[in-house]
Amino acid sequence: MFGKKVVVLLSFAVAVAVVAVVAVGCGGSEGSAPEALPSSSCTAIEYEGDGNPDYLVVSDLPLQGASRAQAVQIVDAIRYELKARDFKAGDYNIGFQSCDDSTAQAGKWDSGKCSQNANAYAANDKVIGIMGTFNSGCAAIEIPIVNEAPNGGIAMISAANTYVCLTQGGPGCETTEPDRYYPSGTRNYARVVANDAYQGGADAEFAQSIGLKNIYVINDKEAYGLGVATNFQKAAESLGIKIAGFEAYDPKASSYEALFKKVQASGADGVFVGGLICENGAQLIKDKVAVLGANDGAVKLITPDGFATQQTIDDAGSASAGMFMSVAGQPIDQFTGEAKEFADTFSKDYLKGEPIDPYAIYGAQGAQVLLDAIGASDGSRADVIAKMFEAKVDQGLLGSFEIGATGDPEGASGAVTAIVVYKATDKLETVKVISPSQATVDAALGK
Amino acid sequence: MLPRLRGARVTDLIGLTLLGLLLIWLAVNFVKGPAAFIDISLIGLTNGTIYGVVALGYTLVYGILQLINFAHGDVFALSGLVASTVIVSVLGLDEGSSALVIIGGLAVTLVVIMVGFSLFNASIERVAYRPLRNAPRLAPLITAVGMSFVVENISLALYGVNYRTVPNLISHSDVIHIGGITYSWSKASVLIIVIPLLVVLSWFVRSTKQGKAMRAVAQDTEASAMMGIDVDHTIAVTFLIAGALAGAAGIVYLMQFNMRFDTGFELGLIAFTAAVLGGIGNLSGAVLGALCIGFIQAFNEGLGWFAPGSDWTRSMVFGILILVLVFRPEGILGEQTPEGA
Amino acid sequence: MTGLRHRAWSAAGNRNTVAVVVLLVLALIYPTIVGSLQLVPVIGDFVPKTDSMVVMVVFTTMAIGLNMVVGYAGLLDLGYVAFYAVGAYTAGWFASQQFSQVSIDFGAAGIPDGLPGIHISMWLVLPVAGALTMLAGTAIGIPTLRLRGDYLAIVTLGFGEIVPQVVRNADNVYGFDLTHGTFGITPIDSLGFGAVGAALGLPESFRQSSDRAQWYFWFAVVILLITVFCSVRLRDSRLGRAWIAIREDETAAAAMGVPLMRTKTWAYAIGAFFGGVAGAFYASFKGGAFPADFYFNISVFLLCMVILGGVGSVWGVILGGMLLSYLNVEGLANIGSTIQATGLAFDPTKYQFGIYGSIIVLMMLFRPAGLIPERRHRVEMEEGVHDTPFYDVQREGTLTDRDGSDD
Repeated sequence: MFGKKVVVLLSFAVAVAVVAVVAVGCGGSEGSAPEALPSSSCTAIEYEGDGNPDYLVVSDLPLQGASRAQAVQIVDAIRYELKARDFKAGDYNIGFQSCDDSTAQAGKWDSGKCSQNANAYAANDKVIGIMGTFNSGCAAIEIPIVNEAPNGGIAMISAANTYVCLTQGGPGCETTEPDRYYPSGTRNYARVVANDAYQGGADAEFAQSIGLKNIYVINDKEAYGLGVATNFQKAAESLGIKIAGFEAYDPKASSYEALFKKVQASGADGVFVGGLICENGAQLIKDKVAVLGANDGAVKLITPDGFATQQTIDDAGSASAGMFMSVAGQPIDQFTGEAKEFADTFSKDYLKGEPIDPYAIYGAQGAQVLLDAIGASDGSRADVIAKMFEAKVDQGLLGSFEIGATGDPEGASGAVTAIVVYKATDKLETVKVISPSQATVDAALGK
Repeated sequence: MLPRLRGARVTDLIGLTLLGLLLIWLAVNFVKGPAAFIDISLIGLTNGTIYGVVALGYTLVYGILQLINFAHGDVFALSGLVASTVIVSVLGLDEGSSALVIIGGLAVTLVVIMVGFSLFNASIERVAYRPLRNAPRLAPLITAVGMSFVVENISLALYGVNYRTVPNLISHSDVIHIGGITYSWSKASVLIIVIPLLVVLSWFVRSTKQGKAMRAVAQDTEASAMMGIDVDHTIAVTFLIAGALAGAAGIVYLMQFNMRFDTGFELGLIAFTAAVLGGIGNLSGAVLGALCIGFIQAFNEGLGWFAPGSDWTRSMVFGILILVLVFRPEGILGEQTPEGA
Repeated sequence: MTGLRHRAWSAAGNRNTVAVVVLLVLALIYPTIVGSLQLVPVIGDFVPKTDSMVVMVVFTTMAIGLNMVVGYAGLLDLGYVAFYAVGAYTAGWFASQQFSQVSIDFGAAGIPDGLPGIHISMWLVLPVAGALTMLAGTAIGIPTLRLRGDYLAIVTLGFGEIVPQVVRNADNVYGFDLTHGTFGITPIDSLGFGAVGAALGLPESFRQSSDRAQWYFWFAVVILLITVFCSVRLRDSRLGRAWIAIREDETAAAAMGVPLMRTKTWAYAIGAFFGGVAGAFYASFKGGAFPADFYFNISVFLLCMVILGGVGSVWGVILGGMLLSYLNVEGLANIGSTIQATGLAFDPTKYQFGIYGSIIVLMMLFRPAGLIPERRHRVEMEEGVHDTPFYDVQREGTLTDRDGSDD
């Protein structure tokens, strides 16, 4: 019964062995170019400088699905920065690969892909810095893996992870967070974006400023949505706003009318949604309007940056009118100085008329911090990390700040901790720019 | 014999206890907020009706072939997506169109989609299921699972990963508004479309020659073949009808909710659960089961007193499925013959 | 070639040994030769990395576990992913910082002293995960295995849908965080040789070693071989013959004194065991367990491996499993980049499940017994069995077999 199979297997084995021997015979010419990361996730090495790159910088972002537009702009912003420096950081030649942590079928990041990528970075001793990730959930997988990389932890800097507990512990986090992400005991992760405590705090301050007294908080239970919803809840309570309810919604459900009936029965005058537009957000907005009335009516709708894109207005149509959306950073039309210069050149060179996404500027800022750290280092991974944690940005793309011991931007003035609140009409209209007070941020963190 | 009898009594007791707890829970919630309760029931009624139309497709095919046609949910989703193209791009209906244009346009869409997808569904049967008529019973079921993914990926290829939607063609103004209770035209339209369909279906199965042939094949294939009924033809007709129902459900769903390529998987499972709950193979059972699921879902998400909330909905639906299969596999109406539909 | 064939035919006992030796040698040299294989022109681009091989072998192991349920006993399980989930989360509970209330270290490799959480050696966690999954399989099986084939499929599907949602929502079980919600449990400890191994020059923990993929690969192959061994031995055992009897004709089997419920439950439990071990191993390799990993498509993916390879045929399932998981991990992406290099904007990874679905349909239509058919099963497929005929609708008693067949 196995006869044929054994023959098949054996002949396969012989074939493999022959091919291997032949290959060993022809191979062996070793260039000084670094080994590229696998093409199943990453682009080929991009390098336009002289000779061969000494090190690789990779970006790890979801290039498929709902976050694609933002991810692509971050990648382009990194390319922009690299080109501006002729692919050099200090004395080192830097090659770049853009890796994808999403799958088309899921339409968003995938834990298997994140782990696979992180292990590939860890195994490649030329990788000296990682720009990523986009989703906090993916960061939670990748940080510990690259932290424990065989040749030393790799510096990682994110332009978009806002989950608080990646860098700071506190009552809202598990007791082992954030230490569990750094098994080697040394921090290797920083970010150039304010964590959700800022956004949650700013949204709470905004809710107070428009006179809301009783808010129902719903979330998608994902890392990001639940995180920002929790931060909002805590900040709102500290400001004397009542939380009428705190509940999860199922992104796969077909209708949320019953859920909003419950909101209605609670007597809430505002709804805060911690979630993403791609997680059936449009249906959520429509059902909110169908049950609770228009967003500029009696019950207001406040959403975080998961909804702050033109797509929300396109998908939800007239139901989106009057809803508030917040996003970290300065309104693009109010950019000044270096930021304005970047936005203009970047739009011209890369975007072909498409509007610039707020994340592009975070990507560029992150790339600058990382490349400066590499340039200032002695070329070892450990020193890049050390230099990254010493980074100070003065009047940069996102204003002035420094990377604190936790990896969060600290001592900030300017865009990095500011939150813009938009109102949806047929486009995003700036309503207000809020820099939440330290007291609110602390409250949002549960301190 | 005795242990079995005792076993049966224990399971019945557990089942009745669960049912009793459910009723108490509903009663308490009703007393706490009667208006909200009725409002939520109306939401459940609307959703349940839509599930019912999809569930009918499962139950028709199961009744005649004893095949769980997994692909049915995905045919439903594809029909809805195609309907969105017809409504938005081909007919160009929007909120501003006059009532007559909208009604006419929807009627045209309904006919086009129902005819198109009945043919689509029948061709799935012809290509994928008919060659397996005499294979072991699990073979067509496995094929159906495969077909389900094929159809889902057709939707994915045609429409991408984003949700599709149509403008609010049917006004959200109220039919009824008493106290806190509201019932909009948009919700009423579901019943307005579905009830006539059910009447026609019921007439077809009861009174036409073809319907009688279907019932005969469902009851005993070999005997009906001997009596001169063309079994293959009858099965094809069943798939045509199921496809038409999927198309109708797709449009009705699209008028209410957003859809995308994988909507059908989720909804298909719910509808299948509904069919099992009502007694699979039984047409009125499918509708009844679907209404139950619709109510349970809405109550779970909307009621304030001890409701687990929407993140548990799926577990509840499948929990019900498992409980029904374990305690009463014949379903609510299972003991009646399917021909009594 | 004839000589080889002759030897294999004549020496029944040696057949498996030969195959196993071949597999072992291939596995042993693979991490070494993969680099040079990838340099071979044309096909080099399609050679899977060692890292991908680990995933392929793990999924193949799961497929063999599923094959015991579907292939041997003929019980269609559409919720096998639930066992993978239980295995992965067992690893998460016993080898991570999840339960930080306590600090237990029992032989775990490569973790600092005093790290909070339960850290049992992953080598122990693997069988524990198998055992827990077996329990879960039994618990699911006992109330449901009395159901007829297609109803069983639906119930297992139901469990496959409920388990991930429970995992997702169990971050707050009356205030206790059991699963950490959508965040999943991360990081999960690595396998490794521990301090003893380190003294012998072996890596203390695979994750911190530069040969991580290679070590994981070798041990994945070991687990695969153990699974294959158990699978083959079980098939030829009394229990295995009972399974096949049930698959071929349940009524006749019962009449011949095969206790249906007990036999089916064993199939379920043993199939679950290997799913759990593979799940725990994969969780350790990946470094985490996440509710989003356990969706219905994985169950279908595993089923597709079994069908492609040949229902009931161990070697077929290995072939089907390696082939499909290769496509899943790397193959489709590689094919996609080849296609895109020609300028066509077609990405096959986007339609991976459509491709698997088509494979299922085409196989069922044209080669229902699989690529390497099991002989007995091919006969069943070709000549039919005393299964209830496809369109024989008997109203009475078709819904369950609860009457009389219970032991």
